[in-house]
Amino acid sequence: MKIKEGYILRKVADSNVVVAVGARAKEFNGIINLSESSAFIWKILEKGAEKEDLVEALLKEYKADREVVEQDVERFINKIKEAGLVE
Amino acid sequence: MAKYKIAGVVFEFNAKTKGAHKMLDEYKYLGDKPACFSFSATEKDIANEREGLTELPSWYLESLALFRKLCEYVIDNCNGIIFHASAIAIDDKAYLFTAPSGTGKSTHVAMLREKLKNRAFMINDDKPIVRYENGAFYAYGTPWNGKHHLSTNSRVKIEGICKLYRADSNVIRKAEKKEMIITVLNQTLRFSDETRTDKLLSLIDKMLSEVKIYALGCNMETEAANVSYNGMVKGEVYEN
Repeated sequence: MKIKEGYILRKVADSNVVVAVGARAKEFNGIINLSESSAFIWKILEKGAEKEDLVEALLKEYKADREVVEQDVERFINKIKEAGLVE
Repeated sequence: MAKYKIAGVVFEFNAKTKGAHKMLDEYKYLGDKPACFSFSATEKDIANEREGLTELPSWYLESLALFRKLCEYVIDNCNGIIFHASAIAIDDKAYLFTAPSGTGKSTHVAMLREKLKNRAFMINDDKPIVRYENGAFYAYGTPWNGKHHLSTNSRVKIEGICKLYRADSNVIRKAEKKEMIITVLNQTLRFSDETRTDKLLSLIDKMLSEVKIYALGCNMETEAANVSYNGMVKGEVYEN
């Protein structure tokens, strides 16, 4: 699983903002505002990763319950899949 | 080709339609400075502008093609962006009101003008150009000035930017950068080019850091203008 080419994540105005550039800008002209932990997942997904990799990475970075993290990752993945942001 | 000067940029434009000619008349430039660029809208440019905007007359589309060229020039060369906002000058300081179309920016700013009479003038009611120059942000009037055609060929230092939303009663408070960013980005002309996008984002970040920012909940009664005036000009706001 990987973030599609053309979506860029930037830190701007204390926020994690995703916009589309290049050919992608034609199909998506919105703005996505990500939380800190979502931005953390996004950056890993830019390089490509599976659900398990994301869970492990998050557990290393944040003190949290494995079960909660798994649910959060699942929810986030479903969201970005629905929005067509990953391939 | 006639020379024009908008947002401090001198350029040549070959207006093919009378409408575009007339629209730009106030911005004609008779000085000696050389043109930064020369533009003539092609059929293809006009067709691009027409996409999704079939209702608009050709002369306006021609002006929009020029507007796009100017936007590209100012982001590339002058730290400039096009901001969808109603910009008013009060005591020669600029205050910009931004919100999605239909929220009531123009109505609100009209009430401020009514209240302040000759202490205020319109910089631009719809699409001012904002430039970062010598450590400060300035709003420039442009001929793309909204349905009431309110603008002045002027340059005024920006004092405050206010996000407007409808509310039952009127209240203004200082805003945080992160609650402004989505509104501001949605109301800014963006680019598909990544380099330009990065410049735009860093300019917006700078603007929201250096200019005072506010959130105004308002109704359409004249009291709303008192609240925004007292808040932004006299500093009577709720702190976070």
